[in-house]
Amino acid sequence: MYRKQVRRRRAVLALLVVGSFALLTLTYGQGSNGLQRGVTAIFAPASSVLDRALKPARDLINWVDETFDARGKNHQLEEELRVERKAAVGGKAALAENAEFRKLLKFDKSGAIPAGTKPVTGRVIGLSPTVWFSDVMIDVGSGEGVAVNDPVVNGDGLIGRVTAVTGSAAKVMLISDHSSRVGVRIVPAGVQGIVKATVGEPERLVLSFLNSDKNIHRGEAVVTSGWHSEEIESRFPPNIPVGEVIKATLVEQEAQERSIVRPYADLRNLSTVQVLTGGAP
Amino acid sequence: MILTPKIVVRLLLVGLLGVLLQLTFFSQVELFHVSPDVLPALVVCFGLLGGTMTGAVAGFALGFLLDCLLIQPLGGASLVLIAVGYAAGTFRERFEIHSRLVAPLLCAILTLLAELGFGAIEAMFGIDTEVSPLVVRDMLIKSIFAFFLGWAIYVGMRRLVRPALVDEATVRRTRRPTVLGA
Repeated sequence: MYRKQVRRRRAVLALLVVGSFALLTLTYGQGSNGLQRGVTAIFAPASSVLDRALKPARDLINWVDETFDARGKNHQLEEELRVERKAAVGGKAALAENAEFRKLLKFDKSGAIPAGTKPVTGRVIGLSPTVWFSDVMIDVGSGEGVAVNDPVVNGDGLIGRVTAVTGSAAKVMLISDHSSRVGVRIVPAGVQGIVKATVGEPERLVLSFLNSDKNIHRGEAVVTSGWHSEEIESRFPPNIPVGEVIKATLVEQEAQERSIVRPYADLRNLSTVQVLTGGAP
Repeated sequence: MILTPKIVVRLLLVGLLGVLLQLTFFSQVELFHVSPDVLPALVVCFGLLGGTMTGAVAGFALGFLLDCLLIQPLGGASLVLIAVGYAAGTFRERFEIHSRLVAPLLCAILTLLAELGFGAIEAMFGIDTEVSPLVVRDMLIKSIFAFFLGWAIYVGMRRLVRPALVDEATVRRTRRPTVLGA
């Protein structure tokens, strides 16, 4: 009797393990399948309601975390503020000059949002629980015009791109995901490169240069390049702010052909995002 | 655990609520820059209360639901959580340790192993970028969170499925009668 029970348990366990491997093999590398679309459609409203209901509790816990964090960062920020004040004066002059050039050359006045795209605002309704994946679920989907590969931004800059869509929800792969690649350009240096993630550190991106004949410096801005080539295709329109260079030593630039970038967007703390629809090829 | 339809419904609701809370709450809060992961702890509690089969089936179901809701390749989370549930169930069936620390300690250890498991699955399909040493810190802090959350989840679940627990019924039957004046 006991042996029979043990055999039955082992059979169920084997069935579950084999089933998991089979599912993994069948669905790896695909977008959403019918089952996932159905389950997401059923649970998206409940997730949305729970998300709104639990926001005060989440904010309270995050406030505690940020308070601890802010105490440590205070001195560092004061120092940075002094440096930035000086830079801001130069920046204002450059902005005025820039406005004149735009007027002269009849550049369009689109800022971070590229022309020809329509922003659709969505709320984050789910996040991946492990450090290995950097995906978020948002409450807008194909019903609102969202499509796979649409870029996703928030008020600070680029956060990722849509990798799967259902009728009422979409999955966004953040730029901190290990499989994310963003073609970028450093301004004003003009150096082209590709930004990759560092697993476990969403505030640290690695910029690998494609042409490294010019040196870049700490504090320079990184924006999407929007170029296309035979090997590499950028899925992002040009000039979306990505982040700023925070470490660019000569050794790293010349020996390793890379530097470190901090994304403008706080990828650990996302609530409202915008999907730039209508621009993906 | 005696699985009556009523108990099964309760367990299903607990699992469903656990996955939804993980996605909408726990994944979006941070303490010391780390979000808690309650799902391995929840599966450990299923395994500790119901044994190997309940643990493994709960692990599969919760992992499957998680993968569906996050539109991830199906089966990855299930595979890891089956192992977690089965390990917790095996502990219950093989060892007669009745300390209050068993559940939280198992939750902490198996959460750490689950995070390693998620990493192993991801590595199996290729990680073509740097892995920060901070991943280790994240996993350790997640397992510390799991210690405390696991304790709370275990107490709550035990209360919820109390009528179905075999050892609970034995304890109730063998309780000594109160003698007045003693």
